[in-house]
Amino acid sequence: MQPLPNPMNRRSFLRNAGHGFGGIALASLLADDGKLFAGERDPLAPKKPHFEPTAKRVIFLFMSGGPSQMDTFDPKPGLTKLHGQKLPESFGPVKTRRGVDKNKLLASKRTFKKHGECGTEVSDWFPHLSKCVDDLCVLRGCHGDSVTHPESVYLMNTGSILMGRPSMGAWVAYGLGSENRNMPAFVVLPDPGGWPKGGAPAWGNGFLPTTYQGTLIRGGSTPVLNLDRPSGVSLEQQKRTLDFIREGNQDHLAVRAGDSELEARIAAYELAFRMQIHAPEVVDLASESKETKTLYGLDRKESAEFGTRCLLARRMVERGVRFVQLYCGDTNGWDAHSDLEGNHGKLCLQSDQPIAGLLTDLKRRDLLKDTLVIWGGEFGRTPMTEGTTGRDHNPHGFCMWMAGGGVKGGRVIGATDEIGLRAATDKTHVNDIHATILHLLGFKHTRLTYRHNGRNERLTDNAGEVIQAAIG
Amino acid sequence: MGTMQFRRAIIIVALLTGTTPPVFAASPEDHWAWKKPVRPAAPTLKDSSITSPIDAFVRHKLEANGLQPTPPATRPQLIRRVTFDLIGLPPTPDEVDAFVNDASPNAYEKLLDRLLASSQYGERWGRHWLDLARYADTNGYEQDEIRPHAWRFRDYVIRSFNEDKPFDRFIIEQLAGDEAFPGDPAALVATGFNLLGPDMTDSADQAQRRLNTLNDMTDTASLVFLGLTVGCARCHDHKFEPIPQTDYYRLQAFFAGAEFRTNLDVASSDEREKHLLALREYDRLTQSLRDDILAVEQPHRAKLLDAKIAKLSAEAQAAHRTPPEKRNGGQQELVRETAKLAALTDAEVEKTLSAVELARLKELRQQLKSFDSKKPAPLPVGMGMTDRQGPPPKTHLLERGELSNKAQVVDPGFPVTLTSGRKPEPAKITPSSGGRRLALANWIAHADNPLTARVIVNRVWQQHFGRGLVPTASDFGVRGEPPTHPELLDWLATELVDGGWRLKRMHKLMLLSETYRQSTIAPQTTMEKDPDNTFFSRMNRLRLEGEAVRDSLLAISGRLNSTMGGPGVTPPVAPEAVKGAKGGWIVSPDPKDHVRRSVYLFARRNLRHPFLEAFDLPDSNLSCPKRERSTTAPQALALLNAPEAMEAAKFVAERLMKEADSEPGRIDRAYRLTLGRLPTNKERERAGVFLKTSSLSELCRALMNMNEFVYLD
Repeated sequence: MQPLPNPMNRRSFLRNAGHGFGGIALASLLADDGKLFAGERDPLAPKKPHFEPTAKRVIFLFMSGGPSQMDTFDPKPGLTKLHGQKLPESFGPVKTRRGVDKNKLLASKRTFKKHGECGTEVSDWFPHLSKCVDDLCVLRGCHGDSVTHPESVYLMNTGSILMGRPSMGAWVAYGLGSENRNMPAFVVLPDPGGWPKGGAPAWGNGFLPTTYQGTLIRGGSTPVLNLDRPSGVSLEQQKRTLDFIREGNQDHLAVRAGDSELEARIAAYELAFRMQIHAPEVVDLASESKETKTLYGLDRKESAEFGTRCLLARRMVERGVRFVQLYCGDTNGWDAHSDLEGNHGKLCLQSDQPIAGLLTDLKRRDLLKDTLVIWGGEFGRTPMTEGTTGRDHNPHGFCMWMAGGGVKGGRVIGATDEIGLRAATDKTHVNDIHATILHLLGFKHTRLTYRHNGRNERLTDNAGEVIQAAIG
Repeated sequence: MGTMQFRRAIIIVALLTGTTPPVFAASPEDHWAWKKPVRPAAPTLKDSSITSPIDAFVRHKLEANGLQPTPPATRPQLIRRVTFDLIGLPPTPDEVDAFVNDASPNAYEKLLDRLLASSQYGERWGRHWLDLARYADTNGYEQDEIRPHAWRFRDYVIRSFNEDKPFDRFIIEQLAGDEAFPGDPAALVATGFNLLGPDMTDSADQAQRRLNTLNDMTDTASLVFLGLTVGCARCHDHKFEPIPQTDYYRLQAFFAGAEFRTNLDVASSDEREKHLLALREYDRLTQSLRDDILAVEQPHRAKLLDAKIAKLSAEAQAAHRTPPEKRNGGQQELVRETAKLAALTDAEVEKTLSAVELARLKELRQQLKSFDSKKPAPLPVGMGMTDRQGPPPKTHLLERGELSNKAQVVDPGFPVTLTSGRKPEPAKITPSSGGRRLALANWIAHADNPLTARVIVNRVWQQHFGRGLVPTASDFGVRGEPPTHPELLDWLATELVDGGWRLKRMHKLMLLSETYRQSTIAPQTTMEKDPDNTFFSRMNRLRLEGEAVRDSLLAISGRLNSTMGGPGVTPPVAPEAVKGAKGGWIVSPDPKDHVRRSVYLFARRNLRHPFLEAFDLPDSNLSCPKRERSTTAPQALALLNAPEAMEAAKFVAERLMKEADSEPGRIDRAYRLTLGRLPTNKERERAGVFLKTSSLSELCRALMNMNEFVYLD
């Protein structure tokens, strides 16, 4: 089918084809077809960023609760040396959530080894992911602004510790629109064990239009809320009812010609119908090979659940979803105030293979080059012990990594001090990370703005610098 | 900074940040909105039949631009439009008939009077105010604790609108009700306005928490009452408005002495007296019983509790043994996390009792229970503000807005750009107050304030017409959009003040105008000459808000429970919509509560009602000056497939079976109930064909999904 340049023409085509909803050939309704539907008033019409991007989409693997840097991607032999001693005076006063600043230092029980050509050191909790280090750009000098979960979850997701600002995914949906109108632009896959601390505002729209907020997607036949026909309504009935609505709306529009909102609403019903057909296919893994499923760890009970969500993430970015956020860890997640070994061990077992599988799969499908994958939590953890086996929150220094989407792999940027307490060199604040993500997506972060209550608001507020070393 | 310097600075900043430099009047200090409105004379028109000054101003602009007004809407359209507009519900078929058949010359005015007198008016217009007031029933952040008394503010707002409380008094009550009207419980509840924003109760830094709340109330009061965006001046001199950073902290200093209370006694003296008497009586009757119970239980209770706490970590033990009011944020968190471990059930206590003791305890409890009917209900409690004892703390200018960067001390004061030539009246000092907030309230609510009256008449206009005369309703500053009809705006502002700040009077003025009564369907030439309807050459076609959609579904299916007020209620929603959310979704036990009006739905900050959310329910964390109006697929899915819609369709169908005895009769009635009009012949025929293969309930579902159901002509 020849693409029709004018959305109205296309709608006329559908209308004049005379088939109604029931008659639209499903083959023509798949992924790229959605692009044609962009009405000029459509808030999710695809938009161009400020410059040619290296990343077209983002998968954010959010390690909810705050994973420990010195037990994952930031080896600290200096901490091992000082194990059992109190924090030396030279480090000055430290703010923590549970007041552990006077507690003893706790060495990591993990062993670190160099991996890949780059030789980046990774803890033995990641036997699979360590094979991907040449694609990872590890940021070891990250820091944030708050010692509490919700404030830090908001900071990492919205750029501010205060509640109620738009999330990064919402900004991206606002800036880029949707590549595939059969799918939302920003999708969230929460952990089935519970949402992160701070709840839905972590993927909220804040003052942006509601259209841009994250859409929760679940597996199964109704991945999107209200996608199912009401019980007792057959597919044929749904088509008849939709046809009745459409015909009535066309008559209504005929004497109100040129009202683009009415037109947009008619289009929204067409889209809704196509989503009902299309969305269950996105989450149906039947067409995935056994090899692929094994790659994501679907055959192991520890990793099957998170692996499934990682595989769903790939299927979504393949179909044009701009921003996918996966939460790893339930409401407490990586928040190891006690028994860090048990807590992190279990979560690493759950997530290591799926994440490595995701990176491998994206790469072999040639998607990694323009898909940015981010790993990190709301903060890291203290080198001081809490109780005898745990670590407290630490926003002063922690690590994250990025891969794909134009990021330079095999690099380590920034460092914490000798014990992993504070970011020390080449520090990257959360605002800098956001600026970098927007940059990779083709935005000048200072220019992606939305006017609200008299102010041109942006994700990075008054701060943020692109981390040049990660992209150059 | 001199005027020229200021302008140059702004232009440089604009160039550097890639934004468009603003167009200035003579200088930012000469901006139109800083000057007190002067009542303009309505223009004289050739057409002497125009009696409404609103129409005169609008018509004058239309004529100047070669435009004609659009002929009036039909009566069925008009009653549907204005009923939704004033009470947020559809007119019943009987109400439509009565209006259509009313031949008296003042039929429309009578309709307006009826709607304005309806208590549903306050529920509709109160909701608009709650958007501005960032109202919610929870605190937000991680815990999202319930604010058990927030609803009193919601009810206060609804009542104020219904009583047509003068708007100047409404302002004073919300900013300083405690100071201005001591002893008036409603005025105390009103001060809750300042505290409605999100609040992280277990913040690690309680000083920062207080500052966050102070910032939020300073920003919100400025936006809501003055249309002034002072927030930017928190960290630096405002880049675009003549608002230096000192102005921000001088404004904030008005609030500095306030204590933020969640447990204010808001009982009337009468209630309190009755309660006290009843309580004394209850105490007297039960004193010996309660003493006896305590004597049996207490030794065991204390020992058990001590043993439980002793098993916790050292940190948690310390936290539990610290008196609640002295616990820091981390300790509060620890106590909360270990609360279950340190809780005692009656059963546990009972286990440690001897058989004799147990029998005695049960006997005593039984006896005590028999007095329950004598126990008085707890007195009403509200959120709100009072002033702290003693002199208010000093307010410092904070460099970059940071608490750790205190600069000079500032005193309360009004924005310099708004005070030229006028001194505010000194505040009345009452024994309980420093009088600061009252001074601010009096200055804002004063007829001489250049912004207050303009801002509120513009909000009312925006709601009626779909676009404000100033399109940026909370931004009247240099960078806000200028008014399309400045004289009309000033006329309305002065008219509000001259009419005693009564909003119902303003509604009537606007709604009686021919401008409001125009059709939404305009001739082609009008559409071409005024494509964005800048000149109000026709009526804007408005989409119903989510609340009005949900309330309509309940109303037309005959299920709406019109009970007013009280704590928020929670209807069931699809479990998958809320799965995983902290605290879950706690449905109200009484099904009658599930069909209350949407304004009474419990508003969780961390979890919006999914149906309303699909229809652009705003985030409640920041003041919302105007609802978004999106048309999205999830919205279509909600109205098609959500249980709310399906249930309504079923109930409307049942109603049709009762109210009409033939199929053509049911079709006609279905159109009248859902769309407020009879079907055309073509529609009647189409519906007849549809019903050959589909149920009546499907016809209703289809009609409720029509554009006409949610867009008003």
